[in-house]
Amino acid sequence: MKPLFKYYYLTIVALTGLTSCDDNLDLVPEQSLDPETATSSPANIQNLLIGAYDLAGSNVLFSGDTQLASELLANDNRIENENLLGELAWRGTFQGPAEFNRKQMTAQNAFVVPYWTQGYATINQTNLVLDNLDIITDPETAAILEGEAKFLRALVYFELVRHFGLPYETGQTNAQLGVPIVTNAVTDASQIEFPSRNSVEEVYTQLITDLQDAYNLLPDENSFFADRYAAQAILARIYLQQGNYVAARDAADDVLNNSGHSLTASYEDAFNNDEDSTEDIFAWQITTQDGINDYNTFWATRDFGGRSLTGDITIEAPYFELFDDPNDERSTFFYEGNGTLASGKWQSQFANVPFLRLAEMHLIRAECNFREGSNIGLSPLEEINALRARSNASALGALDLEEILRERKRELGFEGFALHDLKRTKQDVAGIPYNADELVMPIPQREIDANPNLVQNPGYVN
Amino acid sequence: MKSSYNLLLTLTMALITQLAVSQTNTYSGVVSDPDGFPLPGANVLIKGTTTGTQTDFDGNYSIDASIGDVIVFSYVGMRTVETTVTNDTPTTLNMVLDIDAQSLDEVVVVGYGTSTKRKVTDNIASISSEQIAEIPTPSVQNTLAGKAAGVQINQVNGKAESGIKIRVRGVATISSSQEPLYVIDGVPMINNDESVNGSPINPLVGINPQDIESIQILKDASSAAIYGARGTNGVVLITTKKGKEGKTRVSLNTSYGFSQPTNKREWLNTAEYVELFTEAALNSGFTEDDAAFFFNLFAENEEDWRDGLVDTDWQDLALVDGSVEDFSVNVSGGNEKTTFFISTGYNKTDAIIRGNDLERYSLRTNLNHTISEKFSTGFGVGISKTKVNRLSNDNAFATPLQGIAQVPFSKPYQDDGVIPNPNTLYYNFLFQEYNADHQSNIWRVLANVYLQWNMTENLNFRTEVGYDFNSQVEERFFGSLTESASTNGFADANAVQNEKYVLNNYFTFNKDLAEDINMEAILGMSFEDDRRRLQFVEGQEFPSDDLQTVSSASEIVGGGSTRTAFNFLSYFARTNFSLWNKLLLKASLRYDGSSRFGADERYGWFPAFSAGYILSEEEFLRDNNTLTLLKLRASWGVTGNAGIGNFASRSLFQGASYNNRAALVPTQIGDPSLKWETTTQWDLGLDFGFARNRITGEIDYYNKTTSDLLLAQPVPSTSGFLNITRNVGEIRNTGVEFVLNTKNFIKENFRWTTSFNIARNINEVIDLPGGDIISGVNIVREGESIADFYLVEFAGVDPDNGDALFYRNTPLEDGSLDRSTTNNFNEASRVIAGSAFPDLIAGLTNTINFYDFDFSFTFQGQWGASIFNSGGRFQSASADFFDNQSRDQLDRWQQPGDITNVPQARLFGANGTQNSTRYLQNADFIRLRNLSFGYTIPTTFTEKFSISRLRLYFTGFNLLTFTDYNGWDPEATADFNADNALNVGREFYSAPPAKTYSIGVNIDF
Repeated sequence: MKPLFKYYYLTIVALTGLTSCDDNLDLVPEQSLDPETATSSPANIQNLLIGAYDLAGSNVLFSGDTQLASELLANDNRIENENLLGELAWRGTFQGPAEFNRKQMTAQNAFVVPYWTQGYATINQTNLVLDNLDIITDPETAAILEGEAKFLRALVYFELVRHFGLPYETGQTNAQLGVPIVTNAVTDASQIEFPSRNSVEEVYTQLITDLQDAYNLLPDENSFFADRYAAQAILARIYLQQGNYVAARDAADDVLNNSGHSLTASYEDAFNNDEDSTEDIFAWQITTQDGINDYNTFWATRDFGGRSLTGDITIEAPYFELFDDPNDERSTFFYEGNGTLASGKWQSQFANVPFLRLAEMHLIRAECNFREGSNIGLSPLEEINALRARSNASALGALDLEEILRERKRELGFEGFALHDLKRTKQDVAGIPYNADELVMPIPQREIDANPNLVQNPGYVN
Repeated sequence: MKSSYNLLLTLTMALITQLAVSQTNTYSGVVSDPDGFPLPGANVLIKGTTTGTQTDFDGNYSIDASIGDVIVFSYVGMRTVETTVTNDTPTTLNMVLDIDAQSLDEVVVVGYGTSTKRKVTDNIASISSEQIAEIPTPSVQNTLAGKAAGVQINQVNGKAESGIKIRVRGVATISSSQEPLYVIDGVPMINNDESVNGSPINPLVGINPQDIESIQILKDASSAAIYGARGTNGVVLITTKKGKEGKTRVSLNTSYGFSQPTNKREWLNTAEYVELFTEAALNSGFTEDDAAFFFNLFAENEEDWRDGLVDTDWQDLALVDGSVEDFSVNVSGGNEKTTFFISTGYNKTDAIIRGNDLERYSLRTNLNHTISEKFSTGFGVGISKTKVNRLSNDNAFATPLQGIAQVPFSKPYQDDGVIPNPNTLYYNFLFQEYNADHQSNIWRVLANVYLQWNMTENLNFRTEVGYDFNSQVEERFFGSLTESASTNGFADANAVQNEKYVLNNYFTFNKDLAEDINMEAILGMSFEDDRRRLQFVEGQEFPSDDLQTVSSASEIVGGGSTRTAFNFLSYFARTNFSLWNKLLLKASLRYDGSSRFGADERYGWFPAFSAGYILSEEEFLRDNNTLTLLKLRASWGVTGNAGIGNFASRSLFQGASYNNRAALVPTQIGDPSLKWETTTQWDLGLDFGFARNRITGEIDYYNKTTSDLLLAQPVPSTSGFLNITRNVGEIRNTGVEFVLNTKNFIKENFRWTTSFNIARNINEVIDLPGGDIISGVNIVREGESIADFYLVEFAGVDPDNGDALFYRNTPLEDGSLDRSTTNNFNEASRVIAGSAFPDLIAGLTNTINFYDFDFSFTFQGQWGASIFNSGGRFQSASADFFDNQSRDQLDRWQQPGDITNVPQARLFGANGTQNSTRYLQNADFIRLRNLSFGYTIPTTFTEKFSISRLRLYFTGFNLLTFTDYNGWDPEATADFNADNALNVGREFYSAPPAKTYSIGVNIDF
């Protein structure tokens, strides 16, 4: 073994000469930050908040897809005497929307899954902001951040509880299962929990508290981000859903009187805008570089960025029967696909997605005044007629509740209200009662599989 | 040895004295094997001198020798014979060499060195250049199918650049990489798929199979453990050709062929479509007028469908005839100091899918030089450029095969026959060819240089530097008539530069410690650094369809750049003992550290032991002519799998944007104690040979247990995350491999050999904390095999009303399943319905040489896997939607009493179109993978033209496929899913592989 000894020194050098390489094993990612850095500075907390808008405004959540579910679930897919009964026809290939239209959802529905997962990703993002507010030294900034985060969190909970829980029943204790309430941020594996579902009542209480906080914390103006009137406007929508007409009316009245927003000059000006219109209390921002407008994807024809020649969803004869005046601009705000009609509301591929339009506040105030027999702000008839006048529709002489609800459909058609309006007014869909299991989404199978504490909604076995 | 030398000397002296005069004669003859078959290239040497020659093609030699010289005849695999020249020695000296009882002196490449078949105690599959050279496919891995026991090779689909999956001894991971480690000439290779659109590109596409000398697949832990943390999925060692001492040889190979899809499916023609869909519309409450209205949406004129004036076969537009052209030439040779190999190649493959082709230019130079007795050096450089015209992934209307969904009475083109028809049910894929472009250019440099220092007779030191550079630029343009019409076109450009350098330093010690006791040892270190950079930009709003680069975009809508890196620092040692030529012992150890893992778990130890016992060297078997080889092998070792993301152990936040404002969002949640998966594998093997090794074979049993699985474990998404990478769970693969090689005939002018291999693998998930992992239609469940299909079970059709039925399969109180049926899909529970991986794979190769003809073919087969056609719910959906239907949908239920498996056709009726076993089928197949038939023109004729060999051949690839699967191909895989370890066994408009017929010529000068 002598030769080995002779080269012993060399061996040592060769084998240890590169131990400095060990330092090279400490590589850090160049496109990512660790949680400590990400939550360390006021600027980063601000960035996290904008991230929450980004997640909430994703196409799979508020930029088109959850509204798609509401519209198709509320659509009568039956055919009677050789006519489509529904106002919409689903002509696309995706099975998820087809299941909505048939009222036969499965727990793997590729649209249902992201409502839940993206929803909770957004909630976690808002919780990250809320958990780290103490980093913010300027109390004013901290208040705005808190308000915006709570606004976004409440939006998501409202959407989730409406889709995954049985309808809210006015004047009852709503003990039916809603969705889990999670208010702590997760940045570390040890923080992962396996929550059970809270009741519908608890979820509503949580989200209303959030929005009331937001209303108190947010400024009157906040660029394209949420301001206090955005919080008040969504509160109006929520109170209406609960059948709390007085609160809904007063919230809408506050927005109408104080937000500074006004109806656009014409109906079509309210849509296909790259910048928020005067009517937008809050809209999801889409640019060519960021964000996908799934309203466009599914409702526009292929020539305008949609998936199919006709548009995946076409507007059918029963919708046009709602109109009483041929001059009503809302009845002609359509364009032709391949022998069928597509809504003009989503024609521009990179337009913002209007989410809280002032017109809705008029409709809420009018309906609630009507139901309560009050005339806060304007009388219901004056208010409805003022809204109609914007679209060049002739004034109505008299009003009943049915007419107000029809006016809602004329004004707010395809904007995601259909199912929720049916549920709050307790109307059947395609012969299915408003509170039937089929109109409640299944908890995504992946979630049931990952969390043993979750109970599946009735009617979904696999 | 000294005593024999003395004896020889004495004898020689005696002879010289006796003869007094030294005499030189020319001796010549034929060297042949025991069956009289001549041995070309056998070495004939005068012992103790450098005088020598080789036999020619017919085994002839001629050598000058003096009385007293010892002529040594040797040939690989044969017993060496020494003959002392005497006065009585005839000048015509024919020599018959016996087959070496072990036939084991064949060189086998192992990690950091070489060994011989005799000494190896591991399970290594070797494939030589002859077995792969002429198979007409541009992808080297494709040539290996059916050749190695227990190695499943699966081309994702029929695209020319298609990714290829290699699975060695089953799948041993759930979320980590399943790919083996590729090492070329000692340098671990980059093996990243850099495709931009989810349809994988084979990272090895730049390698010319003609440059490869041999491929060894290290299958067991004992052989792979020297590669430590990356050995679990097996190691593929690629050795390129080197020059040989002797006269310069020029070798040329050129071939040309054409190809077709291995299979086409049957779709409805116009008349059948109108019949089925009219019926479907009526069944759903529509009228015939409604049906006509629908049909008119997709037809230019009503007569087109009423009278069948248009009847487009969209499949024929998508699947076209392809071609393969391959040319390569190499020059090799050298002298005793320097050897060289220079090769260049060109391959052009037009795939069987419209618009997809590949062109590759390659160059390789290998040079070895002996500087002095002490030092030698050398380098190898391979450079290639590959240009691929690509297609969208399988999940896009723009991909040709989705064209089959179009309505048969839609015209493909407008009346001018040039511009595609835009009024089709779905986007007409023909616009891609007309108005879009998608090209990928790939540059690959593989270089290595070494210096070897022979410090003493027994010890040498080798330092190697390897460099691998993979650069890819992928550019896409979609014009104003494509799906990007709404933005007046779209273009993007993506550039990736991935480079890796590797430094290996190691000592090799080899010494006969005593007579019949040999020791070999290596000790060394390795450092590897891998960096990847990516830049991309995308734009829209183009002034003209003729301006196709992003520069012409009036609006840049996206861009970015990223950098990432990983590295490995490793130390390794191995020692082998060979005792009395029959007892073999080996131990190895590797210590690996990687940046990929948490700081606390950065290093790991990977030991391995193995032993072999050549029983046939024992006295009691030594002269047995029946059982001529019997070797027992046993091995145990630990390997790792580090095939996860570079920073999987960390919780990370990434930049995002909302309305052009900067944002931060979490992208993953990490576990700081993350480490590699650990696989402990043991292997028991037996090598045997009968009848003077005319029958040889191997039997192996292995047990491969992987623990600390790197698992993307689903977490409740209420946490804000979908999963977390953790070390949890355990998987076991056990299996048996059997290899049998027989020499059926070894007569002169007629040789026939057969090689058969079969492997059975049983995969079981032993432990899965956190419960089932379900990914779409696949499930990982404790006690089952990995990624089984998990589906609602289709129960056929209700004969009374034509409803699709499903088994409820809800567990009953007694534990059994409720086998009653329901027409409500939501009332049925999912069950495990099949496995995505085969449990039996086999290959059979026959090689026949008959006079100047040679013929060989390989069959490949697999059994036990199922395949799920994710496109079935559109293609065979009882006319649920306007997609053209597979012809079997005509067997639909029509009236009460009909017994069929195709539910009543219902337009928009979703009659049984949910994901169920209706779309799951058995994927067993047997395939004639390759076949070649050659004729070598007799050398007596070709020598006149200074040609030492001229061979003409025909070769075919995927010529026959036997399967019951009624989709395109049982191996086709949805390419956009191909990199997902769990979404396996699914097809989605996936093209079948090509069936290729080629003719070619080899010329050696």
